[in-house]
Amino acid sequence: MADSKYITLVSDGGFEFVVLREAALVSPTIKGMLRSQFSEAQTGRCEFPEINATVLEKVVEYFYYWYRNRDKEDVPDMDIPVEMCLELLMAADYFNLDAKPALRNMA
Amino acid sequence: MGPQSALTDFLASHNISANQIRLDADARRRAAENEQDDANNQSNDQASVASIASAAPTPAVSADSAPTTRGRRAAAATLRDEEARKKEQKAIDKIKASKKFQKRKRGIDSEDEDDLARALMGRAAPLPGQQENCENCGTRFTVTAYSRSGPDGGLLCGPCSKELAKEDATKKKKSKKVTGGAVGKRRQLQSNILDGTYSLGAKSLMTLCIETLSKNIDLAEDLGDLPPSIVDKIARKLSKHRLLDSRTLSLFLQPTTDEVRVYDGAKLGSDDFIRIFQTVPGLKKLKVRNGIHFKDQVMDYLMSRHIELEDLYLHGANLVSEAKWKEFLQHKGHALRSLRIYFTDRHVNDELLSVFAATCPSLTRLKISHNQEVTGAGVAAIGDIKTLRHLSLDLRNELHSDVYVDLLSKIGAQLETLSLTRVRKANNTVLDAIHKHCRALVKLRITESDEMTDAGFVRLFRGWANPGLVFVDLQKCRQLDSARPRENPDGIGLCSNGFRALMEHSAKTLRDLNVHGCRHIEAAAFEDVFRADSSKVYEAMAKLEISFCEEVTDFVVGSVFRSCPDLRELNVFGCMKVRDVRVPRGRILVGVPNARGMVIEGDDDDDGDDDE
Repeated sequence: MADSKYITLVSDGGFEFVVLREAALVSPTIKGMLRSQFSEAQTGRCEFPEINATVLEKVVEYFYYWYRNRDKEDVPDMDIPVEMCLELLMAADYFNLDAKPALRNMA
Repeated sequence: MGPQSALTDFLASHNISANQIRLDADARRRAAENEQDDANNQSNDQASVASIASAAPTPAVSADSAPTTRGRRAAAATLRDEEARKKEQKAIDKIKASKKFQKRKRGIDSEDEDDLARALMGRAAPLPGQQENCENCGTRFTVTAYSRSGPDGGLLCGPCSKELAKEDATKKKKSKKVTGGAVGKRRQLQSNILDGTYSLGAKSLMTLCIETLSKNIDLAEDLGDLPPSIVDKIARKLSKHRLLDSRTLSLFLQPTTDEVRVYDGAKLGSDDFIRIFQTVPGLKKLKVRNGIHFKDQVMDYLMSRHIELEDLYLHGANLVSEAKWKEFLQHKGHALRSLRIYFTDRHVNDELLSVFAATCPSLTRLKISHNQEVTGAGVAAIGDIKTLRHLSLDLRNELHSDVYVDLLSKIGAQLETLSLTRVRKANNTVLDAIHKHCRALVKLRITESDEMTDAGFVRLFRGWANPGLVFVDLQKCRQLDSARPRENPDGIGLCSNGFRALMEHSAKTLRDLNVHGCRHIEAAAFEDVFRADSSKVYEAMAKLEISFCEEVTDFVVGSVFRSCPDLRELNVFGCMKVRDVRVPRGRILVGVPNARGMVIEGDDDDDGDDDE
């Protein structure tokens, strides 16, 4: 299957999020999963059974927020709900969304 | 006249009559009311005039209503009507032009503006000094210039006005926080650049989360099982906002960890430091900045426990006495691999340094910074610590070069880091010693030497058996002569040839170079070093500081960007010949001498600095 423009992320409980591939690639973790030899690369479907749907939704929101703002200066901060801050932090660590969403990866 | 009030008396003494003021004010008020009445197109009948508020009849009105013959009266009536209509029209026009009207109009169909204008006119607010019922609570109060109007247009009494003002104030504050304003944003951006935290595009999710968390840290009871790297980031963020205190410290004290970093211990007491040792029994690495209350009793407690610190970083703990330091080294020195001590003025001295060699058999890193006590004898004693790999000294006493030469001859061979900050009197013999003894250096810092010469630097770097350096900081090694600042006949400091030799020696490995203030490096040397030539590519270079190198031009800056493909930040403060450079995308040039101060360029720069 040729690389589709979209990929599917599946959370705990089977919630599916169809995400623009380019946006999701900000996460090195997902990038790694989509490398050719893994099954995720063939199906375009990444399952995260340990991440709950609300958190994954926020992560997906971040993917798009990052994607929209990737070339901009002075980007307004995304709103992070305080109550899910710690969970989101864990997810950020899991998805490797660490400091400086590398400039060079985009080029 | 009754007894005068103190104010009246005072005014009278200044030739001001209170009575006159009152009369004037009354007259003004009356006049104003009459005008209003006219505008309101009230009937000119004396009766109706009298019925309005408390106004007294005015001479003009009473004259008008004098008894006349019927015909004259009728004629006068039409004339009056005409006049009144004209007046009304004028007033309506006036109101239509007013801001208040425009504001009201926005919500309403503009079909009948006149009606709206009339409605507004009818509600014209009472004048200051009059009594009015509060729109909100209905109490009777005196209208002043400060009375505020309520949501339906009526006036509010004092207490109600205050309430409204409070609400407004909170609203204003909130909205201010959200926007920050163009200036605030730009300022923040520039501040980020100078902090080196600038990056194009959105912040990482991690950063966003950590920022949110640190804003709401008082809600957190436990950080859960976050990985240590994240916990450390949170600790940094909290300290930056000076939020680390006894309560928040607990978040970072996990019994299973072996590392605690307190980036700002200014709010912690001795008991808090003791608590660190109580709750983290497996502690190996401890970092404390601004640890003012890290005192003798804390040291005592530390020594009474089975904690074997491998890495101790203490900043500002100048209440630990010399005797305690010695005791600590004797008890716990055997496990110590790294010791860094900053700002401990009195108690870290030569005698203490002489103890190290005997007590710390595995010490590889020693840093003593901002110290006033250590002299040549102490530095000589460092030479006996044969295990040392990293040495960093920032001493206030000026030592003779021979001390350093002797030190290098003893331990220079395995040193990976040599950092000598503010060594005014160190001369070429030190450089020669480095050349002769050092074979493993990765990081070299020698700053503010007034004695070292260009020839010395050439001798150091040319044919040096040490592999390429990664970090070099030779800032402010330059000739200082206020009488003849331009001339440098003896070639003091790092000049053209030394710079060439350095770049030749470490071309492949150099990642971070600082030649801040080395004023006598000529343009030709820069152009040579950063020539557009495939052999002159500095692949590893990430940060370059060439501030106050006077000869740096636009061309040099352009060449630097060309020959350092990985360069992220270039500092050019005080390079007055840099005027207008194109900065490649994603690179940062800091300190251009113009109003903007720094330039960042992206190719599709459509939301750059110029909108707003």
